Amino acid sequence: MLRVDLDKCSGCRTCEMACSLAHAGEFNPLKSRIRVVRKKLHGVFIPVYCMQCTSLPCAKACPVGAISRDEDTWAVLINDEKCIRCGACAQACPFGAITYDPDTKDLIKCDLCGGDPKCAKQCIDGAIVLMPFEAVGVEKRLAHAKKTAASYLTDKKWVEVVP
Amino acid sequence: MRYAVPENILRVDLSGQKLLKQELPDELARNYLGGRGANAKILWDELRAGVDPLSPFNILVFGIGPANGTIAPASGRYNVSAKSPLTGFFGDANSGGHWAAELRYAGYGNLIFYGRAEKPVYLWINDEEIEIRDASHLWGKDTWETEDIIIDELGDPEVKVACIGPAGENLVRCACVINEKTRAAGRTGMGAVMGSKNLKAIAVRGTSGVKVADPEGLFEFRKDANKLISTDLFYELYSKFGTPGLMTIYNEFGSQTHYNSKEGYVKEGVNLYGEIFTEKCVKHVSACFSCPLHCSSIYAIESGPYACVGESCEYENLTAYGTRCGNYDLESTVYASTLADKLGLDTISSGATIGFAMECWERGLITQKDTDGLIMEWGNRDAIIEALDRMAHRKGNFGNLLAEGTKRMSERIAGSENFAIHIKGLDTPAVDPRGMMAYGGLGYAVASRGGDHLRALAALGYSLPGKAKELFGSEEAADRFSIKYAAPVVKFHEEMRAVTDSLDICKYITRTALLLPDMIAKLINTLTGWGVNSSEVLRIGERIVNLERAFNLREGLTRKDDTQPKRMLKEPLKTGGAAGHVVNLEPMLDDYYKIRGWDVKTGFPTRSKLEELGLNEVVTELRKIGKLSEG
Repeated sequence: MLRVDLDKCSGCRTCEMACSLAHAGEFNPLKSRIRVVRKKLHGVFIPVYCMQCTSLPCAKACPVGAISRDEDTWAVLINDEKCIRCGACAQACPFGAITYDPDTKDLIKCDLCGGDPKCAKQCIDGAIVLMPFEAVGVEKRLAHAKKTAASYLTDKKWVEVVP
Repeated sequence: MRYAVPENILRVDLSGQKLLKQELPDELARNYLGGRGANAKILWDELRAGVDPLSPFNILVFGIGPANGTIAPASGRYNVSAKSPLTGFFGDANSGGHWAAELRYAGYGNLIFYGRAEKPVYLWINDEEIEIRDASHLWGKDTWETEDIIIDELGDPEVKVACIGPAGENLVRCACVINEKTRAAGRTGMGAVMGSKNLKAIAVRGTSGVKVADPEGLFEFRKDANKLISTDLFYELYSKFGTPGLMTIYNEFGSQTHYNSKEGYVKEGVNLYGEIFTEKCVKHVSACFSCPLHCSSIYAIESGPYACVGESCEYENLTAYGTRCGNYDLESTVYASTLADKLGLDTISSGATIGFAMECWERGLITQKDTDGLIMEWGNRDAIIEALDRMAHRKGNFGNLLAEGTKRMSERIAGSENFAIHIKGLDTPAVDPRGMMAYGGLGYAVASRGGDHLRALAALGYSLPGKAKELFGSEEAADRFSIKYAAPVVKFHEEMRAVTDSLDICKYITRTALLLPDMIAKLINTLTGWGVNSSEVLRIGERIVNLERAFNLREGLTRKDDTQPKRMLKEPLKTGGAAGHVVNLEPMLDDYYKIRGWDVKTGFPTRSKLEELGLNEVVTELRKIGKLSEG
């Protein structure tokens, strides 16, 4: 799954460019499956994209069964052949991560680029990373542990000689 | 099929309230790319020489190029150009953010404004639908209020706004254009030209896509570019501290502007170093559209008299209201920078004018009678902030005096001309040229828009001595005090800056990382499919530089205007790493004219140079007015 580090996101929207190019062959934020919500002067840049939820609210809302999970990539996919463009999935999505392509009127969402997400490839600071479910939180746990350890070990000079 | 180049240009007659949409001509893109180059060509073709820059006869052009709105690195820039009310020559300013990309998605390469609206208006571009709307309710509002009101009334938070503040409305000569509240097309008074046309803002929303010739090639180019940029010498400095990181370098070089250029090094400068600014003020990293460098930041001062929040407090701003005015207090400097964004003032020029007034005060050339009571002592932080407000609103005699800018002030204050720090009427930037010969000494003197570092930004020498040797044949080209290689170094950089300003991508990623013409040729080719090589890239740059030269000659420029403030030529710096140095300009200027193919005595371009660049119509016109060298 894709994970975003909000401390690192600069709001540059390169991810939108990489995504719309990969999926629509052109540069257009409206065709990007990832959209950065920018509240600049609040210092908040939030890339919004499909979280590939386990409970599949979009698939449950779909009246024709066009939405299913790809077990290899864990991506939730829309079958364009079956899809009737009703937009029920877009309404059901709690993140606003399913939108219409303005030209084709197809419903579009993140498909993890078949397991090789282009947005993550171009994110220079690694704000967007593809990681397996079980790896989520590892970095944060380590950072938290390091901080705690540092305060805990302040008097213990001997740790400095541990190689 | 045409790739990447914006589809249309839009002509707006503000006097007659008429709009004309035309296809953007192929040859404009082929010869000038877009942005600054296309703006220059449009002004050369359409602007009558000798008009008052603040009259309805001036023409204001916004321009973007083939890189905007794509994954091309740092492709968030636009240029706005007109005859400058500060210099009377080619006026041009460049800004980042996300406004340019929005304009690209609406499908316009250039917006050309003529005449003057009867009452305040703003332009609303909603893809194909364009409307000139009433702006009476916005007149008098600052740039932040203006943007909030426009977005609110148009009802779409994705709308991007470029506008002027009170400074532009009041025709303050150094007024700028501000987009998205904090990004400034700062220099040469383009905000005043906008104000003179009663044009308060341009709001844009675009929803069409951009197709490029070689999408995969461009994707790979960006990946390679990311690698080059992130391993560049200056990546750490820019991405961590932003441009404020430069304060550290230039103060230690002894080449920092302090006290209206009286000093090049001051110990207290350390209070304004990038590391300190970042630690005390920065809250979050921030970037312009599609930029891997993210040199910007959201900053805040949370309490006290200088509480403020903003984006992108640059090195130049810390110089303008800090070191230049003898103010070494960080919080008031950051506050003044934020205020300037709201008022719509160019930070460099407004700060320089206040610094100049402070030296006039120190020498007793102006007193409280002239300043309407304001105590203009060095480092008087509240006077700096009050002066900004009076300048923007032309409040009282002193506000009106400041609003005219350094050059015109010095003409009114007897005995002040020797320390009026401007070139062609444009205040020089933060780096003192006495410590940087090619970059500042020659670069500022010949810049087409006056005292400016970004026309050449000759950074290669002192950043990458190895590369300098490869390109110019000697490591001496990297010596910041040497004048021997200044001319070829400046010429090369001017060509490349003209190209990037026209694409329109940022100078900071092309500063050294993506500087070389073969990289830029690759970028142009993946975007457009034109198949240009590196010498053609340099030729486009050279064509733009020569066209701007011709524009300035037509407006009356002579060799005498390619100069430095007297202080830079005659008064050696006293302390710091550049102590003892002055700018030895004349030999550099001779060399520069020679390699440019311009007449050494007059600075007129030669017929052969112009013809080589395909500028035949320029030959005809310069010949008509007696400003062509037949050599």
